[in-house]
Amino acid sequence: MKNADTAVSFRTEIKSWLQKNCPISQRQPIIQKEQIWGGRNKHFYNDDARHWFEAARDRGFTAPEWPARYGGGGLSADQAAVLREEMQDLGCRPPLYDQGLWMLGPALLVFGTEAQKQRHLPAICRGEIRWAQGYSEPFAGSDLANLQTKAEDDGDFFKVTGSKIWTTRADAADWIFCLVRTDDSGPKQQGISFLLIDLASAGVSIAPIPLLSGDSDFCQTFFDDVRVPKDNLVGELHGGWAVAKEVLRHERQLMASFESMAEKPKLNIIDLFNEHMGNENAYGISSTDIRSRLASHLIRDSAVKQLGNRIAQQHEVQSVDSRLPLLMKYLSTREVQHKNEIILDILGTRGLSLASPDNPELYDSMVKQWAFDKALTIAGGTSEIQLNIIAKRALELPSASTPE
Amino acid sequence: MILTSEQKLFRDSLESFLSSKLPIAALRSLRDASLSTAYDRGVWQQLAALGVSSITVPTTLGGAEFGWLAMGAVAQEMGRRLSPTPLLSSVVLAQGALINCANLDQINHYLPALLNGDEVWAVAFEERAHFSPDSVSTAMTPRGLSGGKCMVLDGASADRVLVSALNADGQSRLCLVKTDALGVKQSPSRLMDGRQYVAYEFSDVPESECDWLAGGASGAGWIQVLNQGMVVLAAEMLGGARELCERTFEYLKEREQFDVKIGSFQALQHRAAHMYSELELSQAAVDAALVGFDSGQGDQCAMASAAKALANECFQLISDEAVQMHGGMGVTDELDIGLFLKRSRVCNQLLGNTHWHRLRYADRAGF
Repeated sequence: MKNADTAVSFRTEIKSWLQKNCPISQRQPIIQKEQIWGGRNKHFYNDDARHWFEAARDRGFTAPEWPARYGGGGLSADQAAVLREEMQDLGCRPPLYDQGLWMLGPALLVFGTEAQKQRHLPAICRGEIRWAQGYSEPFAGSDLANLQTKAEDDGDFFKVTGSKIWTTRADAADWIFCLVRTDDSGPKQQGISFLLIDLASAGVSIAPIPLLSGDSDFCQTFFDDVRVPKDNLVGELHGGWAVAKEVLRHERQLMASFESMAEKPKLNIIDLFNEHMGNENAYGISSTDIRSRLASHLIRDSAVKQLGNRIAQQHEVQSVDSRLPLLMKYLSTREVQHKNEIILDILGTRGLSLASPDNPELYDSMVKQWAFDKALTIAGGTSEIQLNIIAKRALELPSASTPE
Repeated sequence: MILTSEQKLFRDSLESFLSSKLPIAALRSLRDASLSTAYDRGVWQQLAALGVSSITVPTTLGGAEFGWLAMGAVAQEMGRRLSPTPLLSSVVLAQGALINCANLDQINHYLPALLNGDEVWAVAFEERAHFSPDSVSTAMTPRGLSGGKCMVLDGASADRVLVSALNADGQSRLCLVKTDALGVKQSPSRLMDGRQYVAYEFSDVPESECDWLAGGASGAGWIQVLNQGMVVLAAEMLGGARELCERTFEYLKEREQFDVKIGSFQALQHRAAHMYSELELSQAAVDAALVGFDSGQGDQCAMASAAKALANECFQLISDEAVQMHGGMGVTDELDIGLFLKRSRVCNQLLGNTHWHRLRYADRAGF
């Protein structure tokens, strides 16, 4: 009874804190250019965004579950769930976007030294440093362990040479967490180390990569004899693969929940259907066909959410079927792409142009999303890699030369 | 499916009963039995004694009020074994219609015999080759009840049949008729799933033989009964799909070709992983619909249609893949795989095919 009372009063307190500190404009559907990204060069779209960020930062709510001594909110899993629910209920936007927050931080909490935690975690929570991820290389994509970027021993430093590709917004980031090769004498997964590199170091250069969407969210990042202090090694020397897998686990969870943090189309797909499919029913387009496909998508989409809820409920009663979380990225990213293809079919010839980000026309932004979301089944482990993992870990099929 | 400990106990006791009394061999012997047999009534009475007919019935009516999740768990176990029982026909549909659409006198009069398994009923609501519960031309005329019904599940073993028909005022209602009443003619057949389906012809069945269910909410009540039938059938189908997945994945781990286990081939691994993903996705939708029946929350029609649409597609995919991955053995009668394949196709047509459910879902979602 006492616990229940505490839970209720916590919820009440959180709700009133959010109502007081999250301005109405920060409770509107997310618009991409208004997202709050951290870093040395951060800027706010308006004063409300700054106010919301600062209030959340000061309360530790940019990283609710991290310990308070590292700048987090120090909340238990249950309390954090209450905060998420209340934020969702009010429609609060995320107060901070950062790959350090989503991916590096959780891994540092497990593998970092005390000094590394004290140095990096508060800077992440406070939005002072923006992080990029340096995993893939031109010749190491799905076969990530084949990476060749070298870190050679140079006294108190490593000397890093090579390049990383698909480094998301590295051009706007301050630091990068990287997988580098420190030994190539044994099996390829065993000679990898996890290194934190300041992108302001001499010898780093960054080139954005134009994408089919017309944007350049991804970069190639080059390292030419970059000196990195040995203090920046996370985990054991040659033991970076374990850290990398911890990061990947968080990345896949993130990708499965990507939609909740992305900009929403101004027209939902049902309104779009009703607006456009009413009176066009010639040979070119059958509204019954699209209606059936759209229903199929919506049915599957809600089943994906129900599966997510089921996993969450299993966590609550502590009887988790460990196979289920492995399915989420594969299923959810597919469904986002299904939706986008249906939107293109509904729009017909109206839906064939890509807008500039400064002047997003209603339909163009949907088409842009279609183009951007093609990356969802590739980034963070392709769908094919996800199927390898399901086959191996959930179904325990005999191993072949199928990597993960 | 997250069950309470009581529900788990119930499911486990059912599971061991079904394994000993209704294994797949029971379906095989039913295939060879006379057309008048839809299931073993003795076994059904034992199942009724175990509580299978009372799972969702309110305690005020003498039931166990165990909830729809428990009902789904039982259907799933029956689906794993292709158990021929009147769970869907007599309990979920007929008895459900009695409780949802009859008045209290009728319920008190008829329900006890259904609960203890002394009587079994069927429901006759199909007049066409595709599910269309709203198309009712069977009607009460001055000379009596006349019309034809098809695809009546387990109809020849039933003591009474509930018939959707137009009453003397032209309203669509459910009418209870004894199957041996004057003017009732049955033509039983055994479909490819080995189960019994009956075509009924009603020729001037006297008014005195007809008891119209006369509860207040007969229209909405009947729709909800159909929703419940769809979801329980979907749970049964996923039980079959789950059994097929387990058997097929085991086979992939045993069968060797080219000196390796065929389960080590990536082409098969990806298809197997996809089957499993689809199974758990569909299970989530079925569980959500069952929870919805228990809580009364959410759009019951939309949730039922989502569950049945996904179960149709899932069971079809998995039964196709199971046959293909078992190779030549997959198309023999010796292996059980083909029995599941044929059941999947019959289930697809029962209570609405995928297209029907997608379009009803679209209606509910407002597009």
